[in-house]
Amino acid sequence: MTLVQELRDLLGDERVLSDPLRTHVYGKDAGIRRGEVLAVVLPASTAEVVALVGIAARHGIPVVPRGAGTGLAGGTVPTSPSLVVSLTKMTHFDVDVESRSAWVEAGVLNLDLSEHAAGHGLHFAPDPSSQAACTIGGNVANNSGGPHCLAEGTTVNHVLAVEVVTARGEVVVLGGEAPDPIGLDLRGIVVGSEGTLGIVTRALVKLTPNPPAARTLLADFARVEDAAATVSGVIAGGIVPAALEMMDRLMTTAVERFVGAGFPTDAAAVLLAEVTGHPAAVEAEADLIRAVAESNGAGRVRVAADEGERALLWKGRKAAFGAVAQTAPDYYLHDAVVPRTRLVEVMAKVYEIADRFDLAMMNVFHAGDGNLHPLMAFDASQDGVMDRVQTAADELVEVCVAAGGALSGEHGIGLEKRDLMPLVFSQADLDAQARLAEAFDPDGLFNPEKVLPAGSRCFDLGRPVPAGTWI
Amino acid sequence: MTSLKSALQGRLGAFLSEPIEGLPEEAAVVAPSTLDEAAVILTLASKHTLPVLVWAGGTHQGLGGRVDPAIVLSTARLNTIVDWQPDDLTVVVEAGVRVADLEERLAERGQTAVLPEVPGDGTVGGAVAGGISGFRRLRFGPTRDRVLETDLVTGDGRIVRGGGRVVKNVTGYDLPRLAAGSLGSLGLIGRVCLKLWPLPQETRTVTLPEPRPDYGYRPLAVVEEPDRVLVFLAGTPAEMDARTAELGGRCERGLLWPGQPEGAIRLSLRVVPRLLREALTRIPSSWGYQALPGVGEVRVGASSFQLESFRELRHWAEGHGGALVVTDAPAEVYELVDPWGTPPASMDLQRRVVARFDPDRVVNPGRLPGSL
Ligand SMILES: Cc1cc2nc3c(=O)[nH]c(=O)nc-3n(C[C@H](O)[C@H](O)[C@H](O)COP(=O)(O)OP(=O)(O)OC[C@H]3O[C@@H](n4cnc5c(N)ncnc54)[C@H](O)[C@@H]3O)c2cc1C
Repeated sequence: MTLVQELRDLLGDERVLSDPLRTHVYGKDAGIRRGEVLAVVLPASTAEVVALVGIAARHGIPVVPRGAGTGLAGGTVPTSPSLVVSLTKMTHFDVDVESRSAWVEAGVLNLDLSEHAAGHGLHFAPDPSSQAACTIGGNVANNSGGPHCLAEGTTVNHVLAVEVVTARGEVVVLGGEAPDPIGLDLRGIVVGSEGTLGIVTRALVKLTPNPPAARTLLADFARVEDAAATVSGVIAGGIVPAALEMMDRLMTTAVERFVGAGFPTDAAAVLLAEVTGHPAAVEAEADLIRAVAESNGAGRVRVAADEGERALLWKGRKAAFGAVAQTAPDYYLHDAVVPRTRLVEVMAKVYEIADRFDLAMMNVFHAGDGNLHPLMAFDASQDGVMDRVQTAADELVEVCVAAGGALSGEHGIGLEKRDLMPLVFSQADLDAQARLAEAFDPDGLFNPEKVLPAGSRCFDLGRPVPAGTWI
Repeated sequence: MTSLKSALQGRLGAFLSEPIEGLPEEAAVVAPSTLDEAAVILTLASKHTLPVLVWAGGTHQGLGGRVDPAIVLSTARLNTIVDWQPDDLTVVVEAGVRVADLEERLAERGQTAVLPEVPGDGTVGGAVAGGISGFRRLRFGPTRDRVLETDLVTGDGRIVRGGGRVVKNVTGYDLPRLAAGSLGSLGLIGRVCLKLWPLPQETRTVTLPEPRPDYGYRPLAVVEEPDRVLVFLAGTPAEMDARTAELGGRCERGLLWPGQPEGAIRLSLRVVPRLLREALTRIPSSWGYQALPGVGEVRVGASSFQLESFRELRHWAEGHGGALVVTDAPAEVYELVDPWGTPPASMDLQRRVVARFDPDRVVNPGRLPGSL
């Protein structure tokens, strides 16, 4: 029997797509790369996932897990004709209010979970700007972040357990509901593994109490470096706000045209900061941030007067990428991270690169984490522009790495940065990661050629001391 | 002196160290002062399949299966604070740095690594390798959430770095998280980068006569003992006034962390937070305890080992997705019961992972559940 026929027998015709017209959209994520899809399956249960993994393995066909396809690093883009497993039909979840946790199927949308939990005064802390569209499975696979991850940490800090189907067709629950599950923390290694170690079918996530009070500030600056210095100053000054986001003028201008959130478009940069907590604390912390901003030359510092204004500011922040789509046919969104002490100098270099390559560079990013998102807007139909974009992107990474940073803060390595891994890891480091992946997926059938560059596994590493040197 | 020990002493002479009290005399004690030296030692051990016991502060050696070592690898000479970036809230330290020493240094600039509050001689490497968290995990999460980078010397002597010195990072597989709590099963955790937090402006300890269903919005820590409840608060001065007024009880300035419950037998009962109250009703009345509401852990101290009560409690905990772990006890106890209890269902995968780092299984062999 053919692969597709076997899958149809398992799932029925409706949940197996093989018509190229229908599978085409599954060849791409929200980044710029495309790959080839053999078929798409839409399982509705863990048992179905196990069964289809078995079928794919018998046919020797690579399996590529997929959530909503909002990833930006090509994580769900097949590198060879593959079976794409879309988890979007798995949308059930159960909230345990007393333990502040929830078992969530992989296809549940991030925002749906938080909106439901809000009824119990709780939320799922990781809040990627794509939260209305992206899935919990995708968040887990990418260890996604968001503006409010500065104080609360990224997805991995909020996942207590995962149920995973491995390439061998095993179903394992890693982690657990009680604290410090015994044995190795394999949960922690599956989170952020970008679909290479297993298909996450369910996750047990921590829910966080909604803060009783919040203050949201918007400060504007005549120079980008003053905004960056404010970020470093706030962190060095002894408070970790709930969020500390930066946008530059090109970005605020685009957002204002798109949603009208009330960002000043005459400032070179704005900082959006939020402090949350006990009502008696937020005032003092907001004052501290204001003072640091003013000592770094801030112009206006405005505090959102009410929940409506606060919500509007956040809507503007989270709509930023949508806004960019209105201004240019194509964009390339970068993601890298640097120590927060290096923000001022790194931002200067970011703009220098944009100038040199004559690219429209816009910035909106998680400044408090040192997590940069330089975004290049362009028109791919123009001659040679893609080369310029790619070279500029590589230089951006080099600048961040030279400043002691890392390749990706939250979007993942996927295909996009796979070949840059040797910039930050030695051959021995990469070899160890490859060996780890082998323990889960010895034949490399799950999301092959992602995360690690070809040749990471070097079989002769391991014994630096020559044989026979002792006894 | 056994011939193995003298042969090892001859080969590892450069790294030899003082004997450690309470450890078998037959073992050669070595204390490397660099990761490269540690790699030489582990390469040798792996080549000849010699069991190695990693010894740090000695405060948590009761965790996990017993190890009968040929080599004791002490982290005492890996004791440098390598790189502290106060303005970035990160610090890089070698494994053997004492928690108390690190926290004292960090406090000079108003920072903390949120490591265990009553560490004794415990080291940073020990806290990370053991997955040991303090009371403040209620507010800041477990220790493993703050491990940003690790330099691991694998069981077969490779030096492998994972993670990075930035607070947010998804560059490659998260080896630091795998290393946290690995109890040496991957090798020696030689050096770590930790995420720091600013120390709060003010702190209070509030003592209440009995537990409550709710202690207000995200206190720093809560410890319930048989005859009192300690609530730890941190924040701005105005917040401290408001919160202590809300709570009532007896209020003192500062954080007055309690010592461990008395007794030579120490257990850790771990349950879904929702079941904590019920768990307490199942603990024999002669046992002392510290219950951590919201976390789901009960730290137990007892002066004698009651096998029947232990088995009943473990059975109940495991039946509800939890565990009852022996964290310290006299040697006889480890002969009566497995310190972990029933191994997790993922043991097969765990074995495969461990084999990629320590193929000859020489570092702390048998420490993990399932005698892994
Ligand atoms: C406008 C916009 C804004 C964004 N903002 C943010 C942000 O603020 N922070 C942030 O971190 N990211 C952000 N992203 C990136 C993206 O939304 C996140 O990475 C998100 O978590 C991906 O989820 P998804 O469901 O779309 O996954 P997909 O894109 O479908 O997949 C992502 C990766 O996860 C794997 N995967 C998906 N589901 C599973 C599963 N069940 N089991 C195993 N592997 C799986 C895939 O193979 C792939 O490698 C943004 C993207 C866009 C387009």
